[in-house]
Amino acid sequence: MAPRVLGLVKRLLVDHAQSEEVTQEIFLEIWQSATRYEPARGGASTWIMTMAHRRAVDRIRSSQAGRDRDTKIGIRDLAVAYDDVSETVETRIEHERVEKAMSRLTELQRQAISLAYYGGFSQSEVAAQLHIPLGTVKTRLRDGLIRLRDELGVAS
Amino acid sequence: MTGTENTGTGTPERNPGELSGAYALNALEARERAAFEAHLESSEEARIEAAELSDTAVALGLATAPVQPSAALKASLMAKLSSTPQLAPLAGPASTPAADAAPASPRLAAVPPVPPSAQATPVVSADPSAAGTGAGSSSGTSAAERARKRWFQRPASLLLAAAAAVALFVGGTFVGLGLAGPSGTSDSFAAQQAASLAQLNAAPDVQRASATTADGHAATLVWSDTSSLSALVVDGLPALSGDQDYQLWYIGAGGAVSAGLLDTSVSANGGTAWRVLDGSLTAGDTIGMTVEPKGGSKQPTTAPIVAIQSS
Repeated sequence: MAPRVLGLVKRLLVDHAQSEEVTQEIFLEIWQSATRYEPARGGASTWIMTMAHRRAVDRIRSSQAGRDRDTKIGIRDLAVAYDDVSETVETRIEHERVEKAMSRLTELQRQAISLAYYGGFSQSEVAAQLHIPLGTVKTRLRDGLIRLRDELGVAS
Repeated sequence: MTGTENTGTGTPERNPGELSGAYALNALEARERAAFEAHLESSEEARIEAAELSDTAVALGLATAPVQPSAALKASLMAKLSSTPQLAPLAGPASTPAADAAPASPRLAAVPPVPPSAQATPVVSADPSAAGTGAGSSSGTSAAERARKRWFQRPASLLLAAAAAVALFVGGTFVGLGLAGPSGTSDSFAAQQAASLAQLNAAPDVQRASATTADGHAATLVWSDTSSLSALVVDGLPALSGDQDYQLWYIGAGGAVSAGLLDTSVSANGGTAWRVLDGSLTAGDTIGMTVEPKGGSKQPTTAPIVAIQSS
């Protein structure tokens, strides 16, 4: 799991050293709360990736580094980036599945979701970046994710 | 989609249901998130949608390119784990270990269910410090020491939980502990190994040294002089042909003494193979690994593919 957690965290934080630091915090938290993990609710990887994303976002919002990062990233291409390093068949398949599902969204939905999830921006920040009303962002995020859910066949 | 009227006041809470997407993407500010979570309390429908959209977001996360953590990060984390107490399991009807029997993914087994032995001593869920097995976020040397002591006193199932968390980080799956592996290792052997690994990592003088095997895999020797325990951890070690085994050795002034075989049932798939060595480590011993005929040899018959000294 560690490479996947670090991969996600680094996608959001960009800076490698800071990403490793946050990854360490995430695994310490996993370690501390592993005895409380409830297997009924999603798999272990779901639990871990959810926590990892939240901690990366926490770091962005809590630090000056987050602000610096904003100016560095700007509104760069936030499509599902993927380097062909250390790939496995498993991640390649997962990547292609998600990319295909993303292609079913409208350009505007895709943009909003990418900024929020891969960029770590809050919905207000997404609204500011895209120069659209907050209510529109909420709708795009929700409708887009629902579409993705249906395309990916996620059901609880 | 919610029972809340749109009052048109312009407050973000006027239609909390529409925040489910932003919530799943962690795109809410703290105040908005709190409001949405309050909404979840009141609506089963909203809870289901939030859970599904959160799982969808996870798919986005799993689609990013993995990045290998540095050896320094692994070493640093393992060192910290030894002084970080785990929280007490929640005593509740929600977790039934048996329900875990059919995991949705192979990785599910990597994180342990609440062990039965822990349920036998229920704890107050809101107060981790009330439990014997965890001290929450309490700090200070004495707390760390108490945590360390408790570690030794924990039942085997909790030691497994501890070791599983380590395995989860260093590479992979619970199979690495030989618990569910096809390798024929018995549960008691696996439990003993896990307990020893936990004890080793909790030793006050635990040390680590790394080297690379002849075919380029990262190997780490973890040892403690006071406990005489040591373990070899190897990333991605390939499987051997059916008539060969990896064998570990203490190599000292008096020659080589076997320290057991290393199982590759996980590492062959990119995971991490590890083994707590049989016998006792003497300070300064070199630990080596050779390829031997199936079942091992009395003395090494080939040159070591890696050797690390416990300086």
